[in-house]
Amino acid sequence: MGTSRNVERRTILKAAGATAATLGLAATTGCGGGDGTSADGTVTIRYAWWGGEPRTIAIKKTIALFEKKYPKIKIKPEFTDYEAFWEKFQTQASGGNPPDVFQNAVGFLRKYDKRGVLMDLKAQADAGNLSLENFRNGVLANGQVDGKQIGIPVGANTMSLVIDLKAFKNAGVEAKFGWTWDEYFAALQKIQDKLKIAGDTGYFSIMYLYDLYLRQNGKAFFTDSDLGFTEDDVTQWWTDGYKRVKSGLVADPKKIEQVKPKSGLSAGLAASEFTWDNFSIRYQGEGESDYGLAPIPTTDGKDTGQYLGSLMLSAFSGTKHPKEVAQFIDFMVHDPEVGKIMGYDRGILSTTEQYDAFKPTDPNNKGVSAYEDEVAKAGVLGKITPHPSGADVIEAAFLRIGGEVAQGKTKPADAAKALFSEAKAAFAG
Amino acid sequence: MTLVKEAPARPAKKRSAAPVAGRRGRRRENLAGYLFMSPWIAGFLLLTAGPMIASLYYAFTSYNLFTPPRWVGLDNFTTMFQDPRWQKSVEVTLKYVVVATPLKLLLALGVALLLAQKRRGQALYRAAFYMPSLIGASVSVGFVWRALFSDDAVVDRTQKIFGLDVGGWIGNPDYVLYSLVALSIWQFGAPMVIFLAGLKQVPQELYEAAEMDGAGPLRRFWNITLPMISPVLFFNVLLESIHAFQVFGSAYVVSDTRCGPADATLVYTCYLYQKGFKEAQMGFASAMAWTLVIAVALVTAVLFWSQKKWVHYEEAAK
Repeated sequence: MGTSRNVERRTILKAAGATAATLGLAATTGCGGGDGTSADGTVTIRYAWWGGEPRTIAIKKTIALFEKKYPKIKIKPEFTDYEAFWEKFQTQASGGNPPDVFQNAVGFLRKYDKRGVLMDLKAQADAGNLSLENFRNGVLANGQVDGKQIGIPVGANTMSLVIDLKAFKNAGVEAKFGWTWDEYFAALQKIQDKLKIAGDTGYFSIMYLYDLYLRQNGKAFFTDSDLGFTEDDVTQWWTDGYKRVKSGLVADPKKIEQVKPKSGLSAGLAASEFTWDNFSIRYQGEGESDYGLAPIPTTDGKDTGQYLGSLMLSAFSGTKHPKEVAQFIDFMVHDPEVGKIMGYDRGILSTTEQYDAFKPTDPNNKGVSAYEDEVAKAGVLGKITPHPSGADVIEAAFLRIGGEVAQGKTKPADAAKALFSEAKAAFAG
Repeated sequence: MTLVKEAPARPAKKRSAAPVAGRRGRRRENLAGYLFMSPWIAGFLLLTAGPMIASLYYAFTSYNLFTPPRWVGLDNFTTMFQDPRWQKSVEVTLKYVVVATPLKLLLALGVALLLAQKRRGQALYRAAFYMPSLIGASVSVGFVWRALFSDDAVVDRTQKIFGLDVGGWIGNPDYVLYSLVALSIWQFGAPMVIFLAGLKQVPQELYEAAEMDGAGPLRRFWNITLPMISPVLFFNVLLESIHAFQVFGSAYVVSDTRCGPADATLVYTCYLYQKGFKEAQMGFASAMAWTLVIAVALVTAVLFWSQKKWVHYEEAAK
């Protein structure tokens, strides 16, 4: 008994020692390479984005291209879907450990600028590591806040109407440039009467569409620091929307909910849906009909309220490798080969080098290109309006509360009140 | 049995017999013990106790993760109690707890009673009924559930045969919570096993005596089984209610991460998660967490207090 106990004790101590040693080892390896520089001077930068499978495949190809040209810079990719991306990013950024370069959108610029996370890339441009030339249609301004360049647009996109071409044809209705909301809803009514399907998938919960409607009426969703409309405005908007759900003009929200993550349009529940034009590429793959881009309905027969938005690349203000990060962004927005690989997945390519290099051959990309050309030609494109800090939270609230209205669970007036109270908290956050 | 009984007495005797060597030995023994426990102690302090204390502090601050927390006193709590979404989350959670827990325990007890009877293939049945509990908490089952209860899917079509057409549960704010309740009930394995163990402990002679006195099966269940397994029942009620208060994964996955539609599956923890990790209102989220802790503690206290009335411990009877 005695000896066996001794052996046990010795074994225990050894085991404990070994554990401590391993822990220590783990700690040291954890520290090594913390700044992303290895012994031979190779620098590693983290690059994060959100998006679907096709985008990830394309981006990985562009990364390979970059690493070939800059053998001393290694890119560590991180990717997920939109919502998970921003949850993760918020946590990482608050811990001082966000990715060095990441995909960004207009709604998040002020939020993370206010929190000191975004690098002003002007200095890097001045140092010659990044070119701010050759951006098309003034989209470079989308990445500017208070005179700082905190995002570099990779593409330009605009809100659009996607329609089920077959349904529109079979019902004998046509989407015309400059049509009014009345004409649009009349067309949907015809579709409903003839084909027994809803006309729209739930337009009134989409913040960016309401923004267009407000812009048509001389307002905008946001001002610099507040909402740009009144409780009465949005009460009216939601009252009309709910009426159209009840009449079946807008698809049953219960059904729309259940086909997620598929869209109601490609599931055949409705004949049209408002979304960003570069998203329209997904419908062809998801649904069985043919889909096309159509003009946004107007209030006065002319002004659609549209503007060019952007996905962009931003850099972490605390990155250990500002120069390399700038070189990477420069490559990603200017290199013609990258443009060819990416296509219009993140919107019409933002620089002339990439725009000229990519000639769309498939009908989807061609459609997106033709659409933006048409919109640009019509001269209706306005300037982007501000997205104050908190815009992301408000967009989610608008979608959720609009959904409650659609389900008949909240009265439009109460919904408007709830939106304003949540917005107040979001702006303060 | 004898070994266990002797063990506590030994150290006291040894202390007087060999004081020096014994103490040193014990110390070394303790050291080894602590070394062994150190990963868990460190884990507890760093990952559980530390964050808990921190969150208690944050509950009284406004904290968005980026700027340092600002002391706001009871503001979070007053805002919270007036917040319609918070009230909604409490309502949804209570509904879930009150409906899911008794149904789950009833099913667990019923199946345990069946499985307690000796018959061929007993082990197989037990394994089969326990199986869902092994996989039920996983994300993939959440997706399966979403598919099962959607429009024109299995459940919907079966319902239609009986003329109950609701067009799927997942998109319907009036039904979706019950799909989560069904998911919870389906995982009755853990309480079932505990019930089974309890049933095995009931002395057979009690049943024999009762039978001789002419007691029928219902009477025997009511007057013998139920009182005899009441400690086990108490344990299960306690555990399952606490569990139900903390439901998150199923609501999050089945609702496609939004805890909707129309906040119909906005269980307490889901709202807490949205406030903390989507809106970065960590102070508010911490206040919510501590309110939940206190609420669950109260429920537990009430249950413990009530056990005097209905839980029978064998020792007390002797």
